[in-house]
Amino acid sequence: MANENNKVITLMCERSADVNDLLDADGKIKSVDGLHAVKLPCSGMVQPIMIETALKQGAAGVIVCGCQIGDCYYREGNKMIRERLLGERVPTLKKATDRRRILALWLSRPQKERFIAEAGEFVKFVQGLPAPEPAAAPAAKPAPAAAKPAADAGPKTEAAKKAEATPEKKEPAAVVVDADGKVDSTKTVKPASEDSNDKDPKIEVEVAPIPEGRGPLEESSGDK
Amino acid sequence: MSAYEQLIKSGNKFFLVLEDLTNKIMTSKYNPLYYHGALPQFYLWVLFLSGLLLFAYYIPTVDNAYLSKGIINAWTSVEYINDKIPFGAVVRGIHRYAGDAMVITILLHAIRVWFTDRYRQYRWLQWFSGIVLFVMVLFIGQTGYYLVWDERSLALTRMTVYALEGVPLIGPGLKSWFLNGDTISNYTMSNYLFIHIGLSFSLLFGLWIHYVRMTRPVMTPPPAINYVLMALVLVFVFMFPITSGKMATLNGTPPTGFEMDWFFLAPYALMNVVPSVLVYWLIVVGITVGLCLLPMPWAFLIKEPPVEAAEVVLTKCVGCNLCYLDCPYQAIEMVPAPANSRFKLLATVMPYRCSGCGVCVGACAFDAIDLPDLPDANVLAQVKQIMEAK
Repeated sequence: MANENNKVITLMCERSADVNDLLDADGKIKSVDGLHAVKLPCSGMVQPIMIETALKQGAAGVIVCGCQIGDCYYREGNKMIRERLLGERVPTLKKATDRRRILALWLSRPQKERFIAEAGEFVKFVQGLPAPEPAAAPAAKPAPAAAKPAADAGPKTEAAKKAEATPEKKEPAAVVVDADGKVDSTKTVKPASEDSNDKDPKIEVEVAPIPEGRGPLEESSGDK
Repeated sequence: MSAYEQLIKSGNKFFLVLEDLTNKIMTSKYNPLYYHGALPQFYLWVLFLSGLLLFAYYIPTVDNAYLSKGIINAWTSVEYINDKIPFGAVVRGIHRYAGDAMVITILLHAIRVWFTDRYRQYRWLQWFSGIVLFVMVLFIGQTGYYLVWDERSLALTRMTVYALEGVPLIGPGLKSWFLNGDTISNYTMSNYLFIHIGLSFSLLFGLWIHYVRMTRPVMTPPPAINYVLMALVLVFVFMFPITSGKMATLNGTPPTGFEMDWFFLAPYALMNVVPSVLVYWLIVVGITVGLCLLPMPWAFLIKEPPVEAAEVVLTKCVGCNLCYLDCPYQAIEMVPAPANSRFKLLATVMPYRCSGCGVCVGACAFDAIDLPDLPDANVLAQVKQIMEAK
């Protein structure tokens, strides 16, 4: 388990961050321990079930990496998968899927360093999580605090509303996203910098215990 | 790697870096480079509206056909709009500068699409119609310059007549179509007005072709960008007010030069330097046709395998419409399912529209559509392999 649990799989658009020179034949990214990549023509090809399968097979986490939001070679692929991860477009992730183990990055081709930095951080974070157990009992309780700001955070609230609609699952089910599509669980995520969301097409989210009083959803200031 | 590929590659990189920068300043949501196609569309609406207002007072005559209230011809009616109508000069300025802005934004759109390699294969129709639209826009803009009926208009008219006459075989016919008779007359002006307005509306038809293969085309920038676009035009309107030249006189000394507008009148500068009309037309038609043919397979200049269209697994498709709704290129059509099917509809792929992007694969909850290159089973197999490797 411990061995398997170290692996993080990146489902990545071949036109987003260019990691070709770091990739070995088995899809391992050399510079980050435990980071692997599977290349797809477009991040829009990612099925939520692929993510779930990877997690089921013991991956510690899954990164979805597409191009900068707004700039998809195939027009809409990254928006599609983003909406799917956010639960705004079918098919979506299953409720029981551990959102903490999923990271979405939107990076353009030259942003390799950025990818390595973000992915490295994420790998460290998921490796530190307890072994994946479906519907693990929520350990920390800041979720309500996180869910509340969500209510006034614009369109992204859907996820939060959904969470509230299923009270028994409230904490684990609340998909938390910042404005740029980071998907994670309420409990452990906090955005790295308050203004990173819209400034940058990719999600600058640092994973750490959430500070009281504000949830990641507060981020979505830029949305109308 | 060919020089052309190198050019496209460095162009692509240029845009990626530029967009990264603009994203940092304006955020990806308000990055005008992500609405490059919608910018000229916005200016088109501005032009329609301001043109409608100008049309209310414009009189398309050369001489005193409707002699009334001192408005004797096109030139004086334009002066009347400019001087007497409240905000007439502003509307006129908006109409002129929005046209210039439209040309700039179209060029930006075309260059970005070209450099980011988004103009060929399944997108050839968009490129082709785009070139035709651009030529139409240029011609409409030129007819706008004739309508003012100052000395520049007269010079342009004479140059155009000269160029049209020089076309082999159909030259004389073109000339009398353009002048609506054999000489410049009131009919000429009404013909100009008809071309200017009629062709403008046929732009909408061209735009329909331009958009028809795209699902959810981005036609409208966010309001914030619209305000900025409008403000830019207004800055020019107030800083550099538009004025007419002297009224054209058919019998006076012919004008020898005019103030150049490089956005619309560049072809006339070309006409000025080429040795003969024939050469001029060869260059103009050559450039246009060449640009139209740029996305054709034999002109790809980039060696790469053709797109492998997605394939529907007929036994699995339940006709749920998800791939049909999500396909960015309208490449999927829902057809009635065969009689023995449990379902009502069946997805079919139009291969000539398919980009092979796999969005339909991501949309399908039933594994019923796949890329021949990379089936989702392969992705899962790769995932499995990674998980099982030491």
